[in-house]
Amino acid sequence: MSSLIGYYSLIFGVGVSILVIFFSIKNFNDTQKLDTKVISLVFLQLLFVIISFSGLILSFVNSDFSNETVFNHSHTTKPLFYKISGTWGNHEGSLLLWLLVLTLFIFVFLLRSKNQPKQYKILTLLFQQIIIIGFFIFLIQTSNPFNHVFPVPKEGLGLNPILQDPALAIHPPILYLGYVGTSIIFSSALAAVCSNNITKMWASHIKKWVLVSWIFLTLGILLGSIWAYYELGWGGFWFWDPVENVSLMPWFALTTLLHCVLVLEKKLILTSWVVVLSIATFTLSMCGTFLVRSGILNSVHTFANDPERGLYILIFLFILIFLSFFIFLIFHKSENNNSKTFYLLSKETSILVNNWFMMYFLSVVLIGTIYPIFLEVISSKKISVGPPFFNKLILPFLIPFMLAMAIGPKLKWIKSDIEDKIYLILFFVISLILSVLIIRNLDINFLYNTILITAAFYLFFITLRDFFHRKYRNLSQITAHFSFSILILSILFNNIFSSEVITNLKINETYQAQNLKINFESIEQENKQNFKAIRGKFIVEDQSGLIEVMQPELRIYNQPNIVTSEADIKTNIFTDKFMTMNYVQNQDYFNIRYQVKPFMIWIWISTILLCLSGCLSLIRKKYEN
Amino acid sequence: MNILKFLVSVTFLIYCFSSDLKAKNLEIEITKNLRCLICQGQSVYDSDSEFANSVKILVEKKLNEGLDEKQIYAYLKNKYGDWILYDPGFSKNTYFLWLLPILMFVFGGAIILKKVILKKKKL
Repeated sequence: MSSLIGYYSLIFGVGVSILVIFFSIKNFNDTQKLDTKVISLVFLQLLFVIISFSGLILSFVNSDFSNETVFNHSHTTKPLFYKISGTWGNHEGSLLLWLLVLTLFIFVFLLRSKNQPKQYKILTLLFQQIIIIGFFIFLIQTSNPFNHVFPVPKEGLGLNPILQDPALAIHPPILYLGYVGTSIIFSSALAAVCSNNITKMWASHIKKWVLVSWIFLTLGILLGSIWAYYELGWGGFWFWDPVENVSLMPWFALTTLLHCVLVLEKKLILTSWVVVLSIATFTLSMCGTFLVRSGILNSVHTFANDPERGLYILIFLFILIFLSFFIFLIFHKSENNNSKTFYLLSKETSILVNNWFMMYFLSVVLIGTIYPIFLEVISSKKISVGPPFFNKLILPFLIPFMLAMAIGPKLKWIKSDIEDKIYLILFFVISLILSVLIIRNLDINFLYNTILITAAFYLFFITLRDFFHRKYRNLSQITAHFSFSILILSILFNNIFSSEVITNLKINETYQAQNLKINFESIEQENKQNFKAIRGKFIVEDQSGLIEVMQPELRIYNQPNIVTSEADIKTNIFTDKFMTMNYVQNQDYFNIRYQVKPFMIWIWISTILLCLSGCLSLIRKKYEN
Repeated sequence: MNILKFLVSVTFLIYCFSSDLKAKNLEIEITKNLRCLICQGQSVYDSDSEFANSVKILVEKKLNEGLDEKQIYAYLKNKYGDWILYDPGFSKNTYFLWLLPILMFVFGGAIILKKVILKKKKL
C-alpha cells in the first residue's frame, strides 16, 4: 500500500514540475514580485517527494516484500535502525534521497533569497527544475523503487552486513546534502549569467550555499572514511579507491570555488572563473554519481550497477554540460576590468595560487581515476592506478602548497608586504629542527620526509600564532588552515609511526616479540538479532608493561550469509590500538592482526574542526558587525 | 605562547625517542601495493581471500629467495599482468597518465605568471 502511494506521489511530482515551469515562465515578466503560487507549487512538489520517500521508509520498516527494493535489500531480523537506513543503502532509494534533497534545497533557496532579483530567482528555479525532472524520469524509468514482486516472497535477501554500521547509515544523506548543494550553485550561477546578475551581492549570497555544500561534503567524506576504518577491518581510512576519489573531486572544486567567491565578494574580479567552477563542481558531482552507478569502476563501495542506468546518467550529464556551455558562451560578458592589477604579493595572487594547486590536485585525481577506463577501452590493456600514483604526484606538491597556505592569508588586498619577517623565519627554523629530530632515527627517506613535515609544522605554528596574534579577525580562515595542518601532520605521523603484527594464534597460545606480547586467552559465542558473534579475548602487553584487553569479533550474519570481521579499537589521544581476527578455513588457529596507529583520532578531530571553521564563516557576519 | 611552543616541542621530542619500535616489514609494504585480483578494489594486504593469501605466501617465498622489491613486482607483473600492480609505473601506456597532471600544473602556473607579471609591467 505504502509502495503504491509512493509511486503515485512520484508521478504527481513530475506533474507539479510542469506546473512550476509553466507558472514561472508566466511570472517572468508580469509582476514585480515572485508569484507565491510558484513557491507553493515548489512546496507541493517537495511534499510529494517526502510522501514518496516516507512510503519507501514505511515499506522497509514493515518489511513489505511485495516491494522489489525492500525484498532485495532488507530482512525481517534486521534491527529497526538498519531497516530505515537500508532505505538509502541501495541504488533506487539513494536516488530518491537525491531527489528529496534536490526539491528541499530549491524550496529553501526560494525562501532564503528574498532580496535577490525576481528574474534571477525564477531562472534558478527553472534550471533546478530541469535537473529535478531529469531525476524524476531517471527514477521512474530505470530505477523505480516501488516495483512489485509477485508472488510475494516470505523473506528478503538482506542488507550487506558491511553496510550495517552507524557511520554508514548517515553517510549517504550527509554526502548527498553536499553533492546536491552544488546543484543550487550550478543553477544559480547559470541564472546569474543569464540575468547578468554577477555582482558582489550575488557573491555573498551564493557564498552561503557554497559553504553549506562544502561543510556537508567534508562531513560526508569524513563519515565514509570513519566507516572504512571501523568496518572494513584493515585499519586504513583512505585508499584512493575510485569511489573515494569521486567524492574528493567535487570537494577540490568546491574548495577552490569557496576561495574564489571570497575574492568576488570583495572585488568584482574572476567572474568567468567563478561561473566555470560552479558548473564544474556540479558536473563533477554528477560524474561521481554516474561513475559509481554505472558499474564502470571496480571498487569496494560499488553496491549496484546496471549499464542502462549508466547510459541514462551519461546522456543527462551531456545535456547539462552542453546547456551550461551554450549559456555561458551566449550570455556571459567577461569582466571589463583588465586595468585591475595583480601584484605578486597580494591576497588576490595568493588566492590564485590556491586555485592553481587545487586544480592540480583535482586533475591528478581525475586523470588517475578515469585514465585506466579510457586505456582499457582504447587498447584493452588493464592497468591499476592506486595509492603509489597519488602519493607520488600529490605529496611533494603539498610542500609549497602548505607554505603558501601559511603566508598567503597574511597578505592584504591589492598590494602588501610581508610583515613579521623575523617570526616567519624563526618558525621555519623551529619546524625544521623539530622535523629533523623526529625523522632522524627512522628508516625512511630522510630529506623528503623532513621537508614535508617541516612544511606541515610551519603551517601549524604560523596559524597557531595567528590565533593569538590576530585575535578574532578571520577566525574561520585561521581555524580552517590550522585544522588542515593538523590533518596533514596526523596523516603523516600515522603513516610513519604505524606498526603492526600479523600472526596466526590458537587459543591459549602467546605471540612474543621483543617489545610486544599477545596472549590469546579465550573465545566465546553469542547470538544476536541477525548474526552470531564469535568474540576472542586477547591480552596485549607492550614494552612498558601496559596491559590492554582486546576483543575483536567475527560476525556470521544469517541473511545474506556473510562472515565479517569486527575490529576492536582502543582509542586514546595519542594512539589507536587496532585488532582484527580472521577465520582460516579448515584450521584450528585464527589469523590475528594487531596494529598500533598513532594520532588516528586527530585525523577525525581535525576534519571536524575543518567543518566547524566552515560553520564559523557562515555565522561570522553576526559578530563582526 | 612561548610556553605552548615549548610544550609542543617537548611532547614530540619525548615521543620520537620512545618510538623506535617500528621495524619495517617489506612483505607488508609489497602486498599493500598489489591488487587482489578476485576482490572488489582491495589490496592483497587487505584481503583474506584465497588468492590474496596465496600471493602473500608467494611474496614471502620470493623474499626468502633473496629477490628485492622491484624484482618481485616484475615477477608478479609477468605472471598476472599490469592489473595487479597499484603503481602503474612509467611506460608507453602511462605517459599521459603521469605527464598530463604535470602539464596542467605548468599550464596553470603560466596563466598566473601572465596575470601577475604582465599586469605589473603595464603600470
